Amino acid sequence: MTTIAWQRRRATVRATWREFASQRGGLVGLIGLAVITVLAVLAPLVTDASGLDVTRATAAPWRPPSAEYWLGTDHNGRSVLLLTWWGTRISLVVGLAATVLSVLIGTVVGIAAAHFGGWVSAVLMRFTDFFLVLPSLVLAIALSTVLPRGLGTIVLAIGVTSWPATARLVRAQTLAVEARPFIERARALGGGHGHVIGRHVLPAVLPLVFVNTTLTVASAIVLESTLSFLGLGDPTRVSWGSLLHAANMHGAVSQRAWWFLVPPGLGVVCVVLAFTLCGRALETVLNPRLKGER
Amino acid sequence: MSLLELRDLSVHYRGARGEVAAVRSVSLGLEAGQTLGLAGESGCGKSTVAMSVLRLLPRNARVEGQVLLDGEDVQGMSWGRLRTVRWAAASVVFQGAMHALNPVHRVGDQIAEPMRLHGVSGSVSDLLGQVELPARAARAYPHELSGGQKQRVMIAMALACAPRLVIADEPTTALDVVVQAQVLDVLKRLVSERGIGLVMISHDLSVLASTCDRLAVMRYGQIVEEGPAREVIASPTHPHTQALAAAFPTVGDPASRQVTAEDAADGPVLLRAEGVRVDYGATKAVAGVDLEVRAGEIVALVGQSGSGKTTLARTLLGLQRPTAGRVLFEGTELPRSSSGLRAYRRQVQLVLQDPTSALNPRHSVYEAVAEGLRIHRIEGDEPTLVAEALSHAELRPPELFFPSLPHELSGGQRQRVVIAGALALGPRLLIADEPVASLDASVRGEILALLLRLRRELGLAALVITHDLGLAWTIADRVAVMYQGELVEQGTVEQVLLSPRHDYTRTLLAAVPQDQRSTRPNWTSSP
Repeated sequence: MTTIAWQRRRATVRATWREFASQRGGLVGLIGLAVITVLAVLAPLVTDASGLDVTRATAAPWRPPSAEYWLGTDHNGRSVLLLTWWGTRISLVVGLAATVLSVLIGTVVGIAAAHFGGWVSAVLMRFTDFFLVLPSLVLAIALSTVLPRGLGTIVLAIGVTSWPATARLVRAQTLAVEARPFIERARALGGGHGHVIGRHVLPAVLPLVFVNTTLTVASAIVLESTLSFLGLGDPTRVSWGSLLHAANMHGAVSQRAWWFLVPPGLGVVCVVLAFTLCGRALETVLNPRLKGER
Repeated sequence: MSLLELRDLSVHYRGARGEVAAVRSVSLGLEAGQTLGLAGESGCGKSTVAMSVLRLLPRNARVEGQVLLDGEDVQGMSWGRLRTVRWAAASVVFQGAMHALNPVHRVGDQIAEPMRLHGVSGSVSDLLGQVELPARAARAYPHELSGGQKQRVMIAMALACAPRLVIADEPTTALDVVVQAQVLDVLKRLVSERGIGLVMISHDLSVLASTCDRLAVMRYGQIVEEGPAREVIASPTHPHTQALAAAFPTVGDPASRQVTAEDAADGPVLLRAEGVRVDYGATKAVAGVDLEVRAGEIVALVGQSGSGKTTLARTLLGLQRPTAGRVLFEGTELPRSSSGLRAYRRQVQLVLQDPTSALNPRHSVYEAVAEGLRIHRIEGDEPTLVAEALSHAELRPPELFFPSLPHELSGGQRQRVVIAGALALGPRLLIADEPVASLDASVRGEILALLLRLRRELGLAALVITHDLGLAWTIADRVAVMYQGELVEQGTVEQVLLSPRHDYTRTLLAAVPQDQRSTRPNWTSSP
């Protein structure tokens, strides 16, 4: 009998896709994301990672774009195109990992607070409020200063600071779902907490979480760039933020080396825009009320 | 010249799937000082007819035919003329007073609003007096008033500009019987005193029978029967009218009682409440209740909204822990552990009031019915068990309903799915909280018949919670009357409904709209 359920789910996915595909902005964002992801994945196969090594850099520093170096070179004579390309990998990985962490914490806290109510809710929500009022950038800076430097720290710093909004959102949605009589029916049938949450609450909350995820990725990428720009990132890896940090440190502005500043910046803009476009389109598909306003 | 005349009125709604006819060639007339009742089930077009009188239909409606208000065609009126006519010549008492009042304005200001807009002088306190509310009610915000008071405010608002025609759309649907009777009295008095014409819309024939001179019954956008109210109710000719009339049985009418002597259950006591009390903070929702349900017995728990019926039901189900007292099932107290309660759920099941919201819109019928089986990990072939439960609930052939989603079903079918979901666990007692209150009249009878048949075939006992005494009369063996958290009277249906001892029971019975079909037993004279 699960086949019926699966058939229906497939049909729902198809319908959602059709709706999504009918929105040009969302489609553009999705294609952009696909291209960027493919490029990031293919980077080690297509390019030579040794070009990132300062000691093996052959070209002269601060060379403007030319036929050989399409986007010029940096202060060490490395190709900016190569650096930006490889930077995509870190930005995407950190953005996605931090988002997964943040949405996971937010969803668990939000559902638990709404479902159990009482003192559990009170404790969890005060905890959420505490994180909500702290300026997340300052907290992230503090965290990444205290913890050993590395990719994990950046992910943790971003994930731990950006979940409260998700938690509030999920809690509100869970409260709305739990007020519906079918939850009472599930309880009367003998369903426990696990059943009610797993069968009724989660499926109703997940679309919202999903939309929220795509929108959170964008801000996580920005936050990653910010932290790396401030010199708090993993110094051994190239990311867009650390590129901008290096450009700033070594006086790209006074060298008038615009080719060192613009590509990583554009990279951030493109990825963030693509995620936001996708998120908006998905939001419109899952919440038809938003359609009329466009 | 008639006050209101509809000539060959048709209304179509343009939708995504083409045009849908909501009203088809309806012709009606109303004189001043008369009351016209418009009866029918949800979706029959009665509200569309009412809204077309003041051209309040949505944009996607296409109207044909004529609506003559004092001889003037509403369709041909200019925008300015229409604004003058709205409220000054004809006004509407909207359905659901809870939502039709603005929560952030005082009701006095809201009553005065149409007077201000039309430049009519008048006194709010006079209007409040006419609907039997004290003048100080004008200072109140809507949430400070009860349902009946809000409905009276709506009537006062409709009367503000002294219209000659008032259209009341389900004016008493959300109200209790006692309050309903008061509101109907106010309307009746206003018609006779002020000579206004009243169009009253309801799905409840007994409400219309007690207030209207003429009655029109609608179905699928057409009028299937029309005539003097007395005649239509006493001898309905159209089968649909007969079904509607049968859905609101008269207490004391032997023809509408479906319980026979051989049904009498004297099995062992299944469920017993002893001194059950439930407090929510300072409020006492249930204040010490003793109640028994025997095996194979149908007990009706009757009372107004707010009397604590639903809290009592939740306590009996173990969904709410009593503050004091205890609930016994077959002599043992309800378990407190979650696994113990889970086992108890196989014995006692719940049927909720509104099947539309009681089913998860994302789950198919199959999943909804199988939910309980999966929770309890019941052995056996799941599809067979689900099919069995569905056919017990008279959804046949069951396989056809497996993939349906709740929104594809009718209200009656949805309630059957809820019942099937409960039956799948093989319970011995059903607690049904207003099981038919949100269903259409013609479906009510079927669901009640289903409960009776389940009792006969499966020996299923039921505790039916209702505000409807007619329902209790139709199917119950015993009746318990609840008032302000206490059971004021308990006994067999005949004892309680035909010779009530407690004042509150008498008030409830007196408030039931009377129609002319049957002679009422003279219970007022009994001790």
